[in-house]
Amino acid sequence: MSKRYKTKKFIVKREYQILALILVLLATGLVLLPKYKKNEGIEPKLFVKNAVSSERYISTDLLAEKLVNQDPSILLIDTRSEKEFNDFSLPNAINIPLNNLLDDDFIGYIDQDVYDVVLFSNDSFYADQAWMLGNRLGFKNLYVLKGGLNEWFDTIINPKYPKETMPREAFKLYDFRKAAGMYFGVGAPKTEKKAVKTKKVITGKKKKKRVAEGGC
Amino acid sequence: MKGKKQKNRHVYWNPYFGGFLLGLLIIATFYLTGRGLGASGAVKSTVVTMVHTVAPTHAENNAYYSKFIKEDESPMNNWLVFEAIGVLLGAFLSGALTGRLKLKVQHSPKISGRRRLIFALMGGLLFGLGAQIARGCTSGAALSGMAVLSVGGFITMLSIFGTGFLVAYFFRKNWI
Amino acid sequence: MGPLIPNGLIPVEWNFVIAILIGMAFGYILEASGFSSSRKLAGVFYGYDFVVLKVFFTSAVVSVIGLYYMDYLNFVDISQLYIQPTYLWAAIIGGMIMGVGFLAGGFCPGTSFCAAAIGKIDAMAFTLGLVIGIFIFAEAFNFIEPLFNGSNLGHITMVDILNISPYWIILIFTIIAIVSFVFSDWVRSKVKKVFY
Repeated sequence: MSKRYKTKKFIVKREYQILALILVLLATGLVLLPKYKKNEGIEPKLFVKNAVSSERYISTDLLAEKLVNQDPSILLIDTRSEKEFNDFSLPNAINIPLNNLLDDDFIGYIDQDVYDVVLFSNDSFYADQAWMLGNRLGFKNLYVLKGGLNEWFDTIINPKYPKETMPREAFKLYDFRKAAGMYFGVGAPKTEKKAVKTKKVITGKKKKKRVAEGGC
Repeated sequence: MKGKKQKNRHVYWNPYFGGFLLGLLIIATFYLTGRGLGASGAVKSTVVTMVHTVAPTHAENNAYYSKFIKEDESPMNNWLVFEAIGVLLGAFLSGALTGRLKLKVQHSPKISGRRRLIFALMGGLLFGLGAQIARGCTSGAALSGMAVLSVGGFITMLSIFGTGFLVAYFFRKNWI
Repeated sequence: MGPLIPNGLIPVEWNFVIAILIGMAFGYILEASGFSSSRKLAGVFYGYDFVVLKVFFTSAVVSVIGLYYMDYLNFVDISQLYIQPTYLWAAIIGGMIMGVGFLAGGFCPGTSFCAAAIGKIDAMAFTLGLVIGIFIFAEAFNFIEPLFNGSNLGHITMVDILNISPYWIILIFTIIAIVSFVFSDWVRSKVKKVFY
């Protein structure tokens, strides 16, 4: 008898045993496979690429222009502590201290793709950290205010008068900054009342995953 | 003894093959919809709809029916109902392709057809009651429950088959 | 990735179309494996036909191994699948009643649909009995309610109860299944042959 015939006969006679063996091998394979931690988020290489590029910065001038034009697609998030937020902050900003960024209440503000989120803090330290966290988790539309509130003071609230030798654009920029500053309340008589900060409400679209239904 | 060996006219698939295909189907169901199969839920929806059509106020006052009666859509608008319709169609197709379509009462030769029908009715009654209490029947709870290693599925299955073995003695006249 | 419809990868409107297709496949497989015959179904309790055991265990093992492999390869997220809640006493007592019903009627709801579709009148009687049984349950709901809603242990899985890795549970389950297949063949060879 040829070898092929013999193996075929062997398989046919013991086909159930072979199938059972395959099943047990598959199950054992599951036990023995190395368990790796499934990391939630984007690839490290992509993350580094995003972190190194400067696309995430938005300058104070650009932000001021958007706010003056009442751009509705911007969402300002103050990443400092609550006390600093109550002292002073940008108009219509929401306070999410860095520690609470990933809380269930607040994560909906950065885990969405409707508004452009601008993170800011005193310098840009906390804001950068918040951006890193968000970007690592794969959230898009996150930006950092370059220079933070310190830069905001230096440019909008207290712009430097350009020297005579600077090009015309510098003067135009200065005028713009002065105007923006007035819009934000610089130079107005010091009134006790704080501007009513209207809380911007995110009208529901927390990307909630549908729960699987089931039953009998 | 020698002689005409009666051939079993009904030739079915190899059970292991059928089980394998069923396992693949359950994987596909979970992958596509995130839920398992089910059967008794469809009958429940039918009952709720019937009672609601005949006596709406009674249905709404009853604590059980009212869970399933929604304002704008009928309780029949349920995944299980569509699946049950599919089951009927699929089984009909299989029966038609293999020549097993026949209107008859299948019973052991030792009992009469009428006795079989009465027992079937009573069995259905008990099963319906039990399936509602345990929130699942064999396909929904046992099959799909075991596929995700759910404790409820295992307990229900063990309970059904365990009790079955215990009372099998009392029903032996019907089957053997 | 993962269960497609809950993650929005397939529009929700397809849900019912998929239901019908899956149901058709389910009915076809059940009927072709012989589950439309009540005598085959009751055979597992008397030892002359173990098709129920074989199909059940095989499908459970195949599906659980398949799902966990898919979870490992990141095709499915197991935590999003529906795991039914465990109501301890309701499951036990309901299961007992169902066991008696199974022996009396010889069907379970899914298989009764299959058998009714090919014309078995006793299956239609069983389905009618299901309707009456559910009706009785709903009418008597106020009495049964404490049993129905009591001892809710939540959506637990075997992993939570036994506290070992799910892969070991699957392996043990597979071995138990194969042993039971061998055992069932041995029992069948010893039992008096029944023609059905």
